[in-house]
Parts: sequence; C-alpha cells; structure tokens
Amino acid sequence: MNLSGITSLMNVADLTMAEKGITSAKVVLTGFVVVFAVLVLLIVIISIYSSIIQAAQNSGKKKQEKVVENIKATTTDKVEAPVETVAPVAQDGISEEVIAVISAAVATMYGSPEKAKIKSIKKSDGGRSAWANAGLLNNTRPF
Amino acid sequence: MEILQGFVDAVVGIFQTSGFAALTWQNYVMMLVSFILIYLAVKKQYEPLLLLPIAFGMLLVNLCPSIMAAPLTDLIPVTEYLNNPNHTETDISQIQYQITTINGIDYVNYPTQNAGLLWYLYRGVKLGIYPPLIFLGIGCMTDFGPLIANPKSLILGAAAQIGIFVTFTGAIFLGFDPAQAGAIGIIGGADGPTAIFVTTKLAPELLGSIAIAAYSYMALVPIIQPPIMKALTTKKERAVVMEQLRPVSKLEKIIFPIIVVIIIAILLPDAAPLVGMLMLGNLFKESGVVERIAKTAQNELMNIITIFLGTTVGATASGANFLKLDTIKIIVLGLIAFCMGTAFGLLFGKIMYKATGGKVNPLIGSAGVSAVPMAARVAQKVGQQENPGNFLLMHAMGPNVAGVIGSAVAAGVLLNVVG
Repeated sequence: MNLSGITSLMNVADLTMAEKGITSAKVVLTGFVVVFAVLVLLIVIISIYSSIIQAAQNSGKKKQEKVVENIKATTTDKVEAPVETVAPVAQDGISEEVIAVISAAVATMYGSPEKAKIKSIKKSDGGRSAWANAGLLNNTRPF
Repeated sequence: MEILQGFVDAVVGIFQTSGFAALTWQNYVMMLVSFILIYLAVKKQYEPLLLLPIAFGMLLVNLCPSIMAAPLTDLIPVTEYLNNPNHTETDISQIQYQITTINGIDYVNYPTQNAGLLWYLYRGVKLGIYPPLIFLGIGCMTDFGPLIANPKSLILGAAAQIGIFVTFTGAIFLGFDPAQAGAIGIIGGADGPTAIFVTTKLAPELLGSIAIAAYSYMALVPIIQPPIMKALTTKKERAVVMEQLRPVSKLEKIIFPIIVVIIIAILLPDAAPLVGMLMLGNLFKESGVVERIAKTAQNELMNIITIFLGTTVGATASGANFLKLDTIKIIVLGLIAFCMGTAFGLLFGKIMYKATGGKVNPLIGSAGVSAVPMAARVAQKVGQQENPGNFLLMHAMGPNVAGVIGSAVAAGVLLNVVG
C-alpha cells in the first residue's frame, strides 16, 4: 500500500487556509479509511479462524464423547464389581490429615479417582527440602 | 602576591566552567519543572516508572548541558592528515573517519571530544530502537484473549484513533508542518512508545514536549476520561451488564500474533517494527515454550530500556528547546487529541449499543485509546459506579489492546503519508 504523494508539501506556512484544509482533509480521510479497513480485515480474519478452530475442537470433543458412550454401553452389560475402597499404605508417623491432603492434591490434578490411585505414602529420606528442590528445578530446567 | 593571584585565577577558572556562568534562565525554569515532575512521581505516584527518569534526565541536561552534547570533530584536509607522522594510514581508503568534501577538497572528520553520556544512550531513541523493544515486553504481558473472544472490539480500538487525525488538522491550522502535525496528533493514541517512535521519525525537534505530553496524559487518564464518559452516555447505557466472554483456546491465542503481524506488516510496512515486536512478545507468552525469554523481555529488558528511554527523553527537554510557544500549543493539542480519542471511542460504543440492542456497554469504547490497562480500569470503575455488580474490566480489555494495535496502524499511516 503506497500512500506517499498525498502530501508532497512541506512549507505549510506558505499555504492558504483552503490548501491547509485540503491537506488535512486528505490525511484525515486516508487515516480514517486505512485504520478502519485494516482493523475490519483483522476482525473478519480473526472471526474466520476462531470459528474454524472452535468447530475443529468441538468435533474432536464430540468424537471423544461418543467413544466414552460406547465404552459405557459395553460395560453396563457386565455385572458391576463391588468397588474396593483400599486405604493407601502409609508409613508410621504420617497423620491421616497429611494423607487426606495428598489425596486431595492428586484428585485435583488427575480429576476422577479412576485415573490415579495412591498405593502408598512414604517419607523421602533426607536430602533437599521440597522448596530447595523446587528452586533447583526452576534454575536448571531450561538446560 | 603571586600565590594570591594564582588562587584568584583558579577560582575564576572554576567559576567560568561551572554551571553558574554557563546556564541561562531557561535552564533554571526547567529545573523547577523537573522538581515538580519528581514530586508528582514520588508523592502522587503518577506513572513513576517513567516520570521519575524523565524528570531526572530533564534536571541533568539543564544542570549540565554537555551531558547531551554531540561529539566534537575537526575538519582536517586529507593530505595534511596523511602527512601527520602520528597517523598510520597511507591512503584515503584506509581512513576510518567520515570524509567530507567541501569545494572539491576532502576533509577528515577527526574526533576531538567524545559526546556526553546521554547522547550515546539517546541513539536508541533516535534510531527507533527502544520503542519496539518496549513493545516486545508489552507483548509478553498482554493477553489478547478478550479481543479474540470479541473481535468486534477492534472497531472501538480504531474509533479511538480518529482523535489523532482530527488533531492533525488542528495542528496544521496552528502553523505546524504536516510532519510535525502528525507527531502531535499521535499523542491522541495515548501510547508512549508509539508517540516516541513516530516523533523521532517525523519531527525529532519536538520529541521532548510530545513525549512529556503523551506520558502526562496517560498518567492523567483517571482524571481526564470520566467526565467525558459521563457526558456522552446515559445512566441506562452505563449500567448495561455484558454477557460473559467465551473462553479462548490456546491454539487461537498462538495463531493470533502470527496472523496479525502478517496482515499489518504486508499492508503497512511502516508499522512493522512496532507490531512485529508486540506480536513476537505475545507469541513468546502464548507459546509457553520460551518462558525464560518471555520473563526477560517483560522484566529485565523492559526495565533497562525504560531507564534509558525515560532519562534520555527527559534530557531532550533542555530550557532552550522546551520553553517555547510551540510547547504550549503541543500540550493543548495533545489534550484535545486525547479527549477526542476517548469521545470517538464512546460514540462508536454507543453505535454498537444500538446495533446490538443494548448488549454492549458504550463505556468500553473509551478504553480504545491504548493506555493499557489504565483506560480499561477507568471503564470498569465508571461502570461500577452505576451498577456495583457490573464487571466491565475484561470487556474493556478487548478495545484496550485493540487500541495498541490501532495506534500502531495509525502510526504506520502517518509515517507513510506525511513522513
């Protein structure tokens, strides 16, 4: 887009009022039209690609839902096994509150209980504290 | 007696090289101005990150003008230069200094004195390096999610730029040339780096006054905008509660900067340095794979550039440069540009209110002047005064970040048309 040449004048002091008016009208009109045209073009393109991505992601989700439904349909025929509720094996000295907190954190990260199970909880022996480990990881991760 | 005379001569010599002998009344006035700005930055906390370095740069250059002085060079005829036994060059092509030809004779621009500290740092402003680097950091900090969720807010970002072009007209009629008028108009974009970028290219002689006007008005957004917002909207319009924005996926956020830079850089290459860096920063953020670079760009790099930019921009406001009638005109025109930008944003907000059957709160239009995120916060605050349960902030962030893109596009147009 080449807009040069619209204002070839530089000595505005020599211009009459009418010429000043024409110069500024040209710039105002060009600015107005170009800024709006570019941003409207952006609106159109953003809308198009957003709808494409959304459509693609929605169809992906629907497929997943169908697969889940199929699995459910096949499993409901079978006799449901009684759900075992086994408490994780915890080392001595780890209170129930700590077990509850760890279970809550795992449940938050993984969602449903089917996806993750805690089998045992042990104290790690010595070494760095959790904060020191986190600091070390943060500093060395990119290398 | 001889000792006494030597002592008097030494004291006179010191006095003659001191500021007392060299400074003019304009320098002292500017020092007072810098004290006021330091007070506003420290006590009132008006954009202190920028105002403090600007004010101190202003103080330094008026105390010691040589801190901003260009290097001194002597013109030595090439033959004389080559004959000097201290110089090892044997041929004109080996001379590393610039050669100037006057009346058919070649002269070597031989440096005799280095420039002042701030003159060197100012190269980054003059060559248009610092503003795009600031945009890189801004890109890392900006979430374009609200804009992607509601692309129509780009219209409001465009509407708020009309003030730039209207002020251009005002500046032309006040006797500025088109390039200067373009630089003054860009104050209405309420975007400091863009204003500096455009001014260094169009009218570098006005940089001090334009930068100070732009940053002052950005700091005064919470004072300037609300009266205009209340005057142009009805109570009913201000109380509109907008629907929650849809969540935007990571993929959309990653594609956004790439698409924007392709479109704008092809259509308006003059805006490419600003928009390119803004979108590069945003891609750093959204891709999530270069966390270290994103952190540096938005923290350390941006802080370093802010120190250099603020101090050297302040240092352009020397007494002789700043205390002119033109400065007052620029400050008044800048205010008009800013108010017009707010007003046009609001008017387009009202049009969208009507067009959507009352779903859009026109207040978010005022955030179309960049000034991120201050303008969006003002929209939120004014909206909440009418309806305490109304949260416009995220809706206003759409036009707000659109304003950054809009003012960069407007800058590209001005550079192309009047540059």
